[in-house]
Amino acid sequence: MSADTRLRLVGYAAAALLIVLLPSLAPNPFYVHLGQIYAYTAIAVIGLNILLGLSGQMSLGHGGFYAIGCYATAILATTLGWPIGLTALAGLLLTLLAGLAVGMVALRTRGLYLAMATLAFGFIVEILAQRWVGLTGGTMGLMAIPQIDFGNFAMGPTYFFWVAAGLLLLCQIGSDYLFGSATGRRLRAIKESEAFAQTVGLNVPAWRIGIFAASAVFAGLAGILFAHQSGFVSSDAFNIRLTIGLLIAAVIGGLGNSWGPLLGTAVLLGLTETIASLHQYGPMIYGSILLAVLLLVPEGLVGLFRRLAGKRRQDAAVETAPARPAYEIESAQPRDLVVEGLSKNYAGVSALTTVSLSIAPGQVHALIGPNGAGKSTFINVVAGLYRPSAGRILLGGEDVTALAAHQRARLGLVRTFQNLQLIGGVDVLANVMLGMRARDGIVTDVARWFTGRGHEAGEREEALAILELVGLGPYAHHLPKDLAYGHRKLVELARAIAQRPSVLLLDEPVAGLNPLEAQAIAGIVRRLKEAGITVLVVEHNMDFVMGIADTITVLDFGHAIAAGLPAAIQADPAVLRAYLGQETQAA
Amino acid sequence: MSFTNALQLLISGIAVGAIYTLTAKGLFIAHLATHRLNFGQGDFLMVGAYLSLGLLLAGVPAPLVLLAVLAAMAILGWGLERVAIRPLDRAGDQTGGYAWVLTTAGCALILQNVVELVWGKSAQYAPPIFSATRNNVVRIGEVGIFVEELAIILVAFLAVTAFYVFLFRTRWGKAIYAVAFNPEAAALLGVNVKGTVILVFVLASMLAGISGFLVGPLVSVQPHMGLVFTIKAFAVASIGGFSNPLGLLAGGLLFGIAEAYSNYFDSAFGDLYPLIAVLILLAFRPTGLFGTRAADVR
Repeated sequence: MSADTRLRLVGYAAAALLIVLLPSLAPNPFYVHLGQIYAYTAIAVIGLNILLGLSGQMSLGHGGFYAIGCYATAILATTLGWPIGLTALAGLLLTLLAGLAVGMVALRTRGLYLAMATLAFGFIVEILAQRWVGLTGGTMGLMAIPQIDFGNFAMGPTYFFWVAAGLLLLCQIGSDYLFGSATGRRLRAIKESEAFAQTVGLNVPAWRIGIFAASAVFAGLAGILFAHQSGFVSSDAFNIRLTIGLLIAAVIGGLGNSWGPLLGTAVLLGLTETIASLHQYGPMIYGSILLAVLLLVPEGLVGLFRRLAGKRRQDAAVETAPARPAYEIESAQPRDLVVEGLSKNYAGVSALTTVSLSIAPGQVHALIGPNGAGKSTFINVVAGLYRPSAGRILLGGEDVTALAAHQRARLGLVRTFQNLQLIGGVDVLANVMLGMRARDGIVTDVARWFTGRGHEAGEREEALAILELVGLGPYAHHLPKDLAYGHRKLVELARAIAQRPSVLLLDEPVAGLNPLEAQAIAGIVRRLKEAGITVLVVEHNMDFVMGIADTITVLDFGHAIAAGLPAAIQADPAVLRAYLGQETQAA
Repeated sequence: MSFTNALQLLISGIAVGAIYTLTAKGLFIAHLATHRLNFGQGDFLMVGAYLSLGLLLAGVPAPLVLLAVLAAMAILGWGLERVAIRPLDRAGDQTGGYAWVLTTAGCALILQNVVELVWGKSAQYAPPIFSATRNNVVRIGEVGIFVEELAIILVAFLAVTAFYVFLFRTRWGKAIYAVAFNPEAAALLGVNVKGTVILVFVLASMLAGISGFLVGPLVSVQPHMGLVFTIKAFAVASIGGFSNPLGLLAGGLLFGIAEAYSNYFDSAFGDLYPLIAVLILLAFRPTGLFGTRAADVR
């Protein structure tokens, strides 16, 4: 069990103990009341932190989901008289549906548009809450909502606190798991770049809508608890300030850190209580805090503590298990790559015109050509990031032209990027593990993560072996940004190898590297070839290309002007013309 | 609905739509050059409305009021860029790409609070700008049309035209497009990038100021009115696709007119339908009716 896991488990135990004891330790009932507010607010903030911090999507409408959960349970309980458990479930279901519906918009929109769409959603819910008086009671509110007291009125507040705080602990454990598991890694990849996430086999739309809906359910749960806390709900509770408050808590705590929401909510509540007497300055204080935190401590309190506690602790114990067998590169299944008559037009400009090529397993084919020849377009069309205007792409005889990028990736069509694509927030090892498919089922994975015993052990071993193969063993626990450029290129290659490619597309693998580093990459490419992997490489470095390519295709203005063996290509007059830009003089 | 009614609603819709367009132009130009914008654009409009209300009530002639509001809003826009936008470049990307959403929203909260402290929380009514009373009507045949609305439409379109001339016919407009295309390349070509960024936020703020000046006679003015205008300006900019300045004009008028009619048919929730329609539009055409989509490929 690692030190981190021990700390985490001790933390859970201490939290559970505190939850049980707080009502008897509190000097007066007000503290229990504060504890209740803290518990459900923190749940909503956790949901926001997962959305913003982990998946990089924005929401300015989480107050809307909170309100929907709240009204669903309150209205069902008061008008239909359903038991609380059932109304709460219905509330969760309704927020899930609302989350999916808004997530549909989120799916198609990015950044600014998403912020606007969620802002509008929150606004619409607020207006409905205010004006649909027949349903919500408007500002006069709904009264006599049953409270969670299990029939014991005197003990009600204590019971409610236990329920809310217990749920908070569960949510925190869930959030910790998300941050510490393959799921979190994948969400970070999506945050980094969607094109990149697709090429490691992630169905990006499904992930995005899923995490949006999940985050909405957290907010809904908070709203449900709020409804049953005081037994009274009015539309005044759901204005834009609610959403802004939740955002402030998430930002103060530190986005992208699982413990941030707990800290941030505490600060938010402390502030709310302190400025209660200064209420006419409330918005000003909130606004100033937002500015101050974002400009002065953008990493939030968790990050600030880390900074004060000195440099982030580097795992000194680099796992150099001596008995690790050397990694055997494997092709999942040898497949050839055949491209037939591929064309790609951009609004009238043709970037590719009927380009065909075919590569057998264990062959290295190089695609070369002057700048603007269409090489990058070709690789993007083959990888599935662009739709071709005409032509077919066959992987091991199977037509994949209609498949999305992530589906091609799962069939073993793997690529690297010209501009490096690595996840900045996690170490090199985790970057390599991103390329792997999970070995344990979800239940086993959660159990192993919780106890800290053997969580992703197989994947870690394999990733470490791959890193040693490419010569990065000692850097497994460094962050990508701390590595030299050449090493980062190797990390990307290691991740591609971890995906067990059948066909590997290398987009300028040695651009910007010195000759020594280029030789190292060439060595690895030869081993990939020996393992039966089909390799297509786009590269400008001719020494590199001539050294590893079995066959070459030359592109110029989107046309394949020559194809054949390296020696023939070097002597081809059409190729010389394309590169030198004029008729070559006969010697 | 009679023909007269329909025509009156159309004029009202155009007047409000023109104001949305002006506000949305501020969002558009800031986003064009910096990929950031002021999430408190509506609150800037609110400040503009209060400033002109205060000056008009003090007896200052309308043209002078407009000039004073423009000057004050220019300073406010400059301040916003200094406080909420520029410092973010130093902070890096630890808060992700959306820190500007929260910093500009933070400034909006502060402004709301200041206005509340100066003018109070309750709604106020601005005096008419162009005519003696709010209900001055010109008759065109059978149809009576508010002078105020006609004048607002006229001024708004003058402002929109001035904006287009500035954007497409001046050096500064070209500089904005150069920075939008690539800030580093623009800097190498001698464009003052920092100055251009300040310029777009000053312009955005001035556009909010004109809108605030014009909106006074149409609605009641109160400190929390900003959010609605931010959201609607966003909706308009989204219809226009944030990339097409003419689409913005069409989007603004479309939205204003749709809102006028839907308010007529459902006085309780009429203002929500156009918004919901825009949300649905976004789900199916994420870049609006007039935008083009760029693939995220590196």
